[in-house]
Amino acid sequence: MNDSSLIDELPGELLMWVLIISELLVFGAGLIAFMGVRLTDPTGFAEAQSHLYRTGAAFNTAVLVTSGYLAAQALHWRRTNFRLKARLALLCAAALGIVFLIIKGVEYTGKAAQGITYETHPFFLFYYLLTGFHAAHVLAGVAVLLLITWRDDPNNIEAGAQFWHMVDLVWIMLFPVIYLLG
Amino acid sequence: MRSVSSRVKCGRRRRHDPLTCAWLGLLALSLTSALLTLLHSPQLVAAGVLALALIKARVILAQYLDLARRPRWLRGFTMVLTIFSVLIFGLYLV
Repeated sequence: MNDSSLIDELPGELLMWVLIISELLVFGAGLIAFMGVRLTDPTGFAEAQSHLYRTGAAFNTAVLVTSGYLAAQALHWRRTNFRLKARLALLCAAALGIVFLIIKGVEYTGKAAQGITYETHPFFLFYYLLTGFHAAHVLAGVAVLLLITWRDDPNNIEAGAQFWHMVDLVWIMLFPVIYLLG
Repeated sequence: MRSVSSRVKCGRRRRHDPLTCAWLGLLALSLTSALLTLLHSPQLVAAGVLALALIKARVILAQYLDLARRPRWLRGFTMVLTIFSVLIFGLYLV
């Protein structure tokens, strides 16, 4: 099979896959840089990591994978003409995205209350940079989910859900590195 | 498009579609990941949580992003993510 047919195999819009791969590379590079800088002060990184709200972050993993499930089901339901069901699933997916952001906000507020900023330690510079950039994607994803709830053409839902799964995928790789590898 | 005929059995009593199986699997893997952190060996925890993250990423790619029926793309993504995980684990061990 030639290269063009390989590209044609991808579900949905090619540009959405370009975006997904680009985002994965950007976050992957950020996480590798994080692990590289950690080599200069592993003890300091472990100590800094102990201040993180791991339970909330683990709960957020469940929130995002559930939200991704609803977005994926919405596409299936829309294609099988369960339009209302699809719209409700997308609304619930967006609501779970907001739950994720609220938990993230509680986490950031807790850090601020402890006087922890991005200047406290290089660990927190990466922590705020990577989790903040991801949270910005979650915010954008919520907006996209609401948009495709309104303009619920199956192609729109497919593209929007793919963006949301990318956000999910990034979190799945980001969570263990930032929160668990002490 | 997924059809009703594509539904598979992933439980003993109830029938679920592949997406539901994937979601339940992801929740189970996340719980396992949380339980792994209770172990006392940091290296074992690191290897375990990275391996579980890799499996979860593959499930999302295969089922949520629908690459299960595009095995070459799924293999490609899995290979890159595996290299990434090995690199992260290597940097952790240094």
